[in-house]
Amino acid sequence: MSEEPKVPIPELGGAVVETGGETLYQCMQCGLCTASCPWRLVEGDISRDFNTRKVQHMAMLGVEGYETEDILFACTTCGVCVERCPRECNPIDNMRVLRAMIGESGSVPQAYRPVIGSLNSNGNPWQGEAKDRTAWTKDMDVPSFGEDTEYLLFVCCTSCYDSRSKKIARAVASLLNKAGVSWGIIGEEEQCCGEAVRKVGSEETFMTLAEHNIKIFGEKGVKKIITTSPHCLYSFRNEYPELGGEFEVLHYTQLMDKLIEEGKLKPTKDFAKKVIFHDPCYLGRHNEVYEAPRNVIDSLPKAERVEMDRFGPDSICCGGGGGRIWMETPPGARFGDLRVSDAVAKKADVLATACPYCTIMIDASNMAMGKEEMEVLDIAEMLDQVT
Amino acid sequence: MSSQHTSVLVVGGGIAGVTAAIESAEMGREVFLVEKSPTLGGRVSAMNQYFPKLCPPLCGLEINYRRIKDNPKVRVFTSTSVEKIEGNKGDYSVTVKITPRYIKDSITDPVHPFEQLEATLPDEYNYGLSKKKPAQIPHEMAFPFKPVVDPVALEDESTKAQLEKIDEVDLSQQVEEMTIKVGSIIWATGWKPYDASRIGYLKYDEYQDVITNVEFERLAAVNGPTEGKLLRPSDGREAKRIAFVQCAGSRDEAHLPYCSAVCCMASLKQSTYVREAFEDGEAWIFYIDIRANRYESFYRKIQDDEKVHFIKGKAGGIERDPESGDLFVISEDMENSDMVRIPVDLVVLATGMVPSTADDKVPMDGLTYDDYGFLVANPDKAVYPVGCTKRPVDVSASVQDATGACIKVQSN
Repeated sequence: MSEEPKVPIPELGGAVVETGGETLYQCMQCGLCTASCPWRLVEGDISRDFNTRKVQHMAMLGVEGYETEDILFACTTCGVCVERCPRECNPIDNMRVLRAMIGESGSVPQAYRPVIGSLNSNGNPWQGEAKDRTAWTKDMDVPSFGEDTEYLLFVCCTSCYDSRSKKIARAVASLLNKAGVSWGIIGEEEQCCGEAVRKVGSEETFMTLAEHNIKIFGEKGVKKIITTSPHCLYSFRNEYPELGGEFEVLHYTQLMDKLIEEGKLKPTKDFAKKVIFHDPCYLGRHNEVYEAPRNVIDSLPKAERVEMDRFGPDSICCGGGGGRIWMETPPGARFGDLRVSDAVAKKADVLATACPYCTIMIDASNMAMGKEEMEVLDIAEMLDQVT
Repeated sequence: MSSQHTSVLVVGGGIAGVTAAIESAEMGREVFLVEKSPTLGGRVSAMNQYFPKLCPPLCGLEINYRRIKDNPKVRVFTSTSVEKIEGNKGDYSVTVKITPRYIKDSITDPVHPFEQLEATLPDEYNYGLSKKKPAQIPHEMAFPFKPVVDPVALEDESTKAQLEKIDEVDLSQQVEEMTIKVGSIIWATGWKPYDASRIGYLKYDEYQDVITNVEFERLAAVNGPTEGKLLRPSDGREAKRIAFVQCAGSRDEAHLPYCSAVCCMASLKQSTYVREAFEDGEAWIFYIDIRANRYESFYRKIQDDEKVHFIKGKAGGIERDPESGDLFVISEDMENSDMVRIPVDLVVLATGMVPSTADDKVPMDGLTYDDYGFLVANPDKAVYPVGCTKRPVDVSASVQDATGACIKVQSN
């Protein structure tokens, strides 16, 4: 490694604070973030090189060297460091701002270019055409959102375009119909929530998407939103309000929990399997929804629910957050493997989750590890099977 | 005009309270020293050694006990709690509740009558690491050196029946209330260790061999549960490799936002226990920064020991190998920007100090506490917090503070 003297840029830290990294200088450099980071649980270059504490320190001092893909773009924004930080810092915000600075200078990582391009032209990150946004509804009775509709179902782009993930959208829709909820979709006109693209540093793309959605939601008279993804939930709840978009937002597991309790959804058929629940970072740590998904699992007749070694606020990321879903992570460094190993050790028949990213990442690990005797399912799919 | 009393109420019989009581009495004041538990001595009596001299607390306590015994101006009330304080500076009526010892005053042999009793209750002196008898002398540094029946034991019918058969026991004794008239109040109810189970990732609840620094102090003490042998709780194996995790709760906005001031020195001191106990003993200290305060030379002495490793990093996880029972401490080693995973036999959490007044307030109106529950001095009311009731301090600072408070009382 070349050891050229580093010239500090004293303005860097101030610029981070100004543009959203308010907690940067609260950091006392204790290293708990680095020690708590899921990258410590895997092997490889990123694990060796990505050090949350050090990135904060470099930003504070204005010293370069953090900008590479393996360092700055390693963070999955899982939030364990935010949860634990003794100084209440938010390394995710700081990292996001640093990424945005790199983005403005034009050196976005290669993997994100098609994603950002597709978001700008199609309104989704998956290179799907806008008109195909509702393809998942094929042969289903899916109402359009109208003046008298109570809930907007906002389906994550992933579940609109990814063939595996479409099943989640269909299961949620089927359940809403079974429960007799007043719901509808907007479809073609809506666009990606923008959560992930903001995390990779494309602030401008996020703003465009968010403003578009807020406008459309406003025109349609949307008051209440159900999301299939915890990432959309996060964005609508925590990012849209300051842009003028105030809605009552629920993750679908929260609504299902309520509908079951009220007797509007009745899981009647047996689901005689051992189920282990993986807390998605954005459902758990970022939105503090821990009970609802567990209640739903517990309502499945004959299902036996067990917990992972690390669950709840301590859960380990699937590896797909913060834009990592579009990055290649080498074998041996995939967090999804950790979740599969834990579930297999607990002899689970089903690894259940409630996030389209988690489903993709963990399913990929499950297949790569040859553990297909264990199913990776979204809770909606399980509930729909027996209701 | 109401009468003006010069007498002093000292609440709490730990090192701060004992010091305040005897110093005030030696300055001529009448002193009522009230202690909730059946013995004076407080947390100091449960220490193995003081830093930096590494001597046991026994001699210091004994000298103070002797001064109290010899001074008729100090009246000691153990097993006594303060229920209510009414009045103003110079004229307080203090209602206290005295729980009986359930032991006859005529007792001559304080040990043998209780020998046949089984040890069934958690021994708080050893932080629950051992069991105690339902009636016994609290511990070998107790003052008064008298047996006592733990009222908890009376909740169990068979234990109660056993106790009733002992001649020296008198279960007919009743709780008493009395009123004391004083002019000033010194509050010295001390501290308790932060509840380590609230720091989930440090696994205190999950792994038996993750213990707190006060528990480790008992393991190292000759009068402790292992007779001073450093044996780990899970399987009794010798704990030759010990990790000390600093700031377990302290300096953390989610737990105790303040520095607990003594834990760095406590761990430096405790690292000498493992170095003394085993030729191949080894210690790792995981720290944010070492705050040795007035004892920098002690810190340097420990740094010179190559078997005591200082790792700059707040430990972020403890893992356990189910087969060997080894624990692994996961942390950044900031000096090298490396990650470490150190295998050890025992993990000692340097848990912080929580003032007792965080939960148990002084039962009177008009006092203020800081954000963390430490009591703020109120000279207008002649109420003075001392020692760890005021802020986290070590033993010698506590003694100095208590002595200083007596001079403030003297001005009233």
